[in-house]
Amino acid sequence: MAHLCLFSLLVLSLVLETQALTPTHHLTTTDVARLQAVLSQPFTDLKSAYYSVVGLSKLGIFVADADETCRFINSNLDPSSVESLFYAAEASQALSGCEIPVSNDTRDLLLATVSEDSTASQIHQSVSALSALGLPLASQEVVSALKARISKEDNVLAIILALQTASRLSQQAELGEILEEIEDLAARLDDLGGVYLQFEEGLEATALFVSAAYSLSDHVDMEPPLKEDQVIQLVNSIFSKKSWDSLSEAFSVASAAASLSNNRFHVPVIVSAQGPAAVSHSHPFLQLQVTDVLCQPLSSASVLVESASAVASKSAILNQAPFTLRDGVFELNFMASQPASGYYQFSVAITGDSRFVANHVELKVKVSTRVAINNMDLSVVDKDQSIGPKTTRVEYPTKAKASFMADSHQNFAMTFQLVDETTGVELTPHQTFVRLHNQKTGQEVVFVAEPDSKNLYKFELDTAERKTEFDSISGTYALYLMVGDATLENPILWNVADVVLKFLDEEAPGTIQAKTLYVPKPEIQHLFREPEKKPPTVVSNAFTALVLSPFLLLLILWFKLGANISNFTLSPSTILFHIGHAAMLGLMYVYWTHLNMFQTLKYLAIIGSLTFLAGNRMLAQKAVKS
Amino acid sequence: MSNSVISVISRFLEEYASSTPNKLKVIDAYLLYIMMTGALQFLYCLLVGTFPFNSFLSGFISCVGSFILAVCLRIQINPQNKGEFLSISPERAFADFLFAHTVLHLVVINFIG
Repeated sequence: MAHLCLFSLLVLSLVLETQALTPTHHLTTTDVARLQAVLSQPFTDLKSAYYSVVGLSKLGIFVADADETCRFINSNLDPSSVESLFYAAEASQALSGCEIPVSNDTRDLLLATVSEDSTASQIHQSVSALSALGLPLASQEVVSALKARISKEDNVLAIILALQTASRLSQQAELGEILEEIEDLAARLDDLGGVYLQFEEGLEATALFVSAAYSLSDHVDMEPPLKEDQVIQLVNSIFSKKSWDSLSEAFSVASAAASLSNNRFHVPVIVSAQGPAAVSHSHPFLQLQVTDVLCQPLSSASVLVESASAVASKSAILNQAPFTLRDGVFELNFMASQPASGYYQFSVAITGDSRFVANHVELKVKVSTRVAINNMDLSVVDKDQSIGPKTTRVEYPTKAKASFMADSHQNFAMTFQLVDETTGVELTPHQTFVRLHNQKTGQEVVFVAEPDSKNLYKFELDTAERKTEFDSISGTYALYLMVGDATLENPILWNVADVVLKFLDEEAPGTIQAKTLYVPKPEIQHLFREPEKKPPTVVSNAFTALVLSPFLLLLILWFKLGANISNFTLSPSTILFHIGHAAMLGLMYVYWTHLNMFQTLKYLAIIGSLTFLAGNRMLAQKAVKS
Repeated sequence: MSNSVISVISRFLEEYASSTPNKLKVIDAYLLYIMMTGALQFLYCLLVGTFPFNSFLSGFISCVGSFILAVCLRIQINPQNKGEFLSISPERAFADFLFAHTVLHLVVINFIG
């Protein structure tokens, strides 16, 4: 028993430690504005009026001219069509003070549509219309009709409409079986790369599923069987598209967003840094926007940094530090903890409501600083060290007054330190370059200055050794120091001094040519494989005749020896054998000219077996005779 | 010295002409023909070059193979060797000779290109 407890605890801890998914796609305020604009387009018929009015009401926006819209709905209403009644009823319910006249015929028509013979879509429309118009309906009948329709029409959209219909029924009805359909539908979702979860029927179906599932779950007050990761994957799928093809698609996204931001069970949290996630002495506050999927700030949330550690050294800087809410933005004064410059990994938790989903976020925060150059010393050292070095100190950003002379017997040296301006800590930025620029010829040579173990930067120029980089061109070179890094706010380009370099004049090229890197190169001619050299035909023919000549010799010898065919019996087996043998030799010739091995083997098998049988008989006869 | 060599050779030729049965002489003539054909092919290769090498090889191997098969036939037919080939009659030896030649020529024609 104790072992079982321990084991389950271990498994639970492993599960909790796994990284929870956070949304990669969400609607920004501009996207929400665009959604509103799409839904606010002037409507042409009752269907688009329904999408616009109801869609906007889900986003919390009410149509400007409610009376005008109400009149439009009433004038376009067709009381004999269930679909028309559905659009009109739903739209009028979203408008305040809009009434649709209902006659007994209308009511009867709607009630009659609730049966096993209508499609799920028709049942959904009639039930919604009945409930929007405030007319009574028999929930149990609807439930049985829906169950029958679900088993007949097994497609995703029908089941979604059934879920949506069930959320309009009385809570006393037996909605258990329909509630189970949520889980079945969730199993039909396609997982794309662990990031997206959507139906193959598309975005609209996925969005409608989300809004139907949550409206039914809220109605029966039972948590939908969707795991947190699944909810986030659905968020990614639905909000990855930022411009919508049709009004119905925009409507479905709006209803999904509304149900995800306001339901009793799961509220996905969207955390984004305002501006770049970077702090510095001039901007010490790290600002985060914590909203729901409709970009509305979460008033009940409290944001906490669980841990913050430096990426490079993995040392922890912060532990359980709270953010303060100011003007709808959560901020934290990170510079107060005096972090060194670099990157920090933040683990942020959003608490305050048990419905929050994806409320643990990992953020990478950059701390920038300003760099200062200290102790810049320039000197010209003699190679044989006979004359002591003369060091000149230069202060940033001034330039050294005198220029430095160095020829092949001397080395030019430069040492400096790079420190953080405010804290004085030594820095090693990614880019520390020394650039020598010849103003007359336009040449430029760049070297890297390296720090030693004490973080003191050194640069030495050995004139004789480096003459190839300079092409041995003597002259005055302007020396620049370039310092840069992602975490530096003030990258530096500093003309430190002028250096006059003297190379041996003989080695300088006559004219200075710009390096031609980007001119067309000489064309390569393709050399086709040359055929092998064959001997002249005369030679080949002569040797062919020569090689065939021993055959004549053979015939002559045989004649002389008295070889003959006097014993040739004309029995059928003999004739067959000789014909078969001749055929085999002929097959060899045909093989050389026309056939391949497989065909030859096939023919050879046939002819060979005949020849074998005939030959066997012939030789047996011969053996008997002799 | 040369005298003895010449006398050995002439004695050998005499013996050969008299005591060898005709059948074997026929096969010996065939062997000589095969050998000359092979030698001439080799001479061409030395003088003119190995192009095309596969054809040269297949021709040369054909000569070598035929020579070997003919030698085997000669050994098996020779009445003096009858004791060693009790189960193989001359007709059987000839049939084997023909079959082996069929296989040899199949390979040679395949390789000759």
